[in-house]
Amino acid sequence: MSIAAPVITLVSREGSERGDKPMDSSASVRPILKFEQVGFQYDGRAIMRDVSFAIRPGELVAVLGPSGCGKTTILNMVAGFLQPTEGAAIIDGQEITGPGPDRGVVFQAAALYDWMTVADNISFSLRCAGRPKAERRRVAEEMAALVNLTGFEDAYPYQLSGGMRQRVGLARVLAAKPKVMLMDEPFSALDVQTREALQEEVLRIRDRTGCTILFVTHSIDEAVFLGDRIFLLTDLTDGAYDEFAIDLPSPRANGENRLHPAFIRLRETIYRKMRH
Amino acid sequence: MISAKSQAKRRYVALAILSPLTILLVWTLLTAKGAVAPIILPSPAAVMASFLDMVQRGYSGVGIWTHLGASLARVGIAFFAGATLGVAIGLLRGRIAEIDALFLVPSEIVRPIPPLGLIPLFILWFGIGEMSKILLIFLSVFLIMMVNAQAGARSCAVDALRAAQSMGAGRWQIFRFVVLPSALPQIMTGLRVSMGTALTILVAAELLGGDRGLGFIILDASSFFRTTYVFAGIILIGLIGLVSDRTIALLARRIVHWEGRR
Repeated sequence: MSIAAPVITLVSREGSERGDKPMDSSASVRPILKFEQVGFQYDGRAIMRDVSFAIRPGELVAVLGPSGCGKTTILNMVAGFLQPTEGAAIIDGQEITGPGPDRGVVFQAAALYDWMTVADNISFSLRCAGRPKAERRRVAEEMAALVNLTGFEDAYPYQLSGGMRQRVGLARVLAAKPKVMLMDEPFSALDVQTREALQEEVLRIRDRTGCTILFVTHSIDEAVFLGDRIFLLTDLTDGAYDEFAIDLPSPRANGENRLHPAFIRLRETIYRKMRH
Repeated sequence: MISAKSQAKRRYVALAILSPLTILLVWTLLTAKGAVAPIILPSPAAVMASFLDMVQRGYSGVGIWTHLGASLARVGIAFFAGATLGVAIGLLRGRIAEIDALFLVPSEIVRPIPPLGLIPLFILWFGIGEMSKILLIFLSVFLIMMVNAQAGARSCAVDALRAAQSMGAGRWQIFRFVVLPSALPQIMTGLRVSMGTALTILVAAELLGGDRGLGFIILDASSFFRTTYVFAGIILIGLIGLVSDRTIALLARRIVHWEGRR
């Protein structure tokens, strides 16, 4: 087993130290998404305190951790569904104060509208923006093609399989051309084959659109396969988490990467870290 | 697979037709033996004769279509107005806490009162004319629809609302495209329940007075012991109920095509 370049970088980060310190190779690029000493309390209980990070445009960051670690809370704050009780969440230089079409969410259970056709689901953001019907149809067809759903534009979501429903969920977010795509364990309810196909799909879509993605998951494999970086969370009440930079061979959208020695090594490292 | 399905459907239709025929048969047998006095339970044939007589010659000097039209107009107006207002306020109550708070105590005090108990009050306030009758039906439809629409609006999934927000939907758009469709299954059920109630209240309201309507026929016929006409009137109302319920159910299946298919 010989690996030419180091593929794993483990950086343990302590709370507050990082703040505005530029990270790794992001020195010259303005981050698209930034947390500045974010804290969140619920019912007087601190869920997280002093959490900071910065994400570059086009980056795919996997947020990994067991349930209850606060990973979905981070996603909900980026989406604007929750507001930080301390610090600030910043998208493209603007503090996040509520939900908006610049941050699209792919939900675990798809959350499609069963009363609308696939095309109407996909182009919902355009309908909200008052775009004309012809444009909505054109974008819906384009996005359906992007997620391999051509021919299903006039079907209803309940007529689709779980994997296809999530494809619609992806297309619906992409149609709004968001700055950041937020994915909340979107494939955790799917069977393995479908899940792996969709993971590769996500990487392909990222390559084609250059979209920044924050991907929340509890699966180590998923995080390693997808992420440019992984944030491994265990307990955020002191703002500390582990960060892994991943450098698997390009193109990333290649199922064979799951068998790459680096993949397996990284998986083991994270596994031990989680068990630790 | 398909043949099994169509066989099940045929069995369903057969049973649905067989059950009223059985009732009719038992009814015929009971009355044929003379076991029951005709004034208590007339034979189906006698009821049918009275019914045909009403169709041909009207009742109490007024044509049957006029009676029928009067009843249907009362129910129709009250049902449409009550359902529209009830759905609007119910949906708002389901999504906006302040509006729910405004309506909570008044509606929960009025709701348990049997509408029939309000008849004396409505006579005092609105007289014995059309106004009292329509308002009485309107009130019961309104209350049922408000409760159903509110429950429907509450059943809307958090993720469905959040998805809309993060796709840039405004308050009205969320209401129109997410909350209303989510509530539709319960609204359609509410329509069926309240149509049944509306017909019940109709008969009671027509007992208030006046000389038109199916309720009037029933009351008038019973005070003259014309039991066959009482039965004819009752069956006519029942048939209206059956037809309207099937119509709403059919519409519901078309409109709420996604229900039970997720």
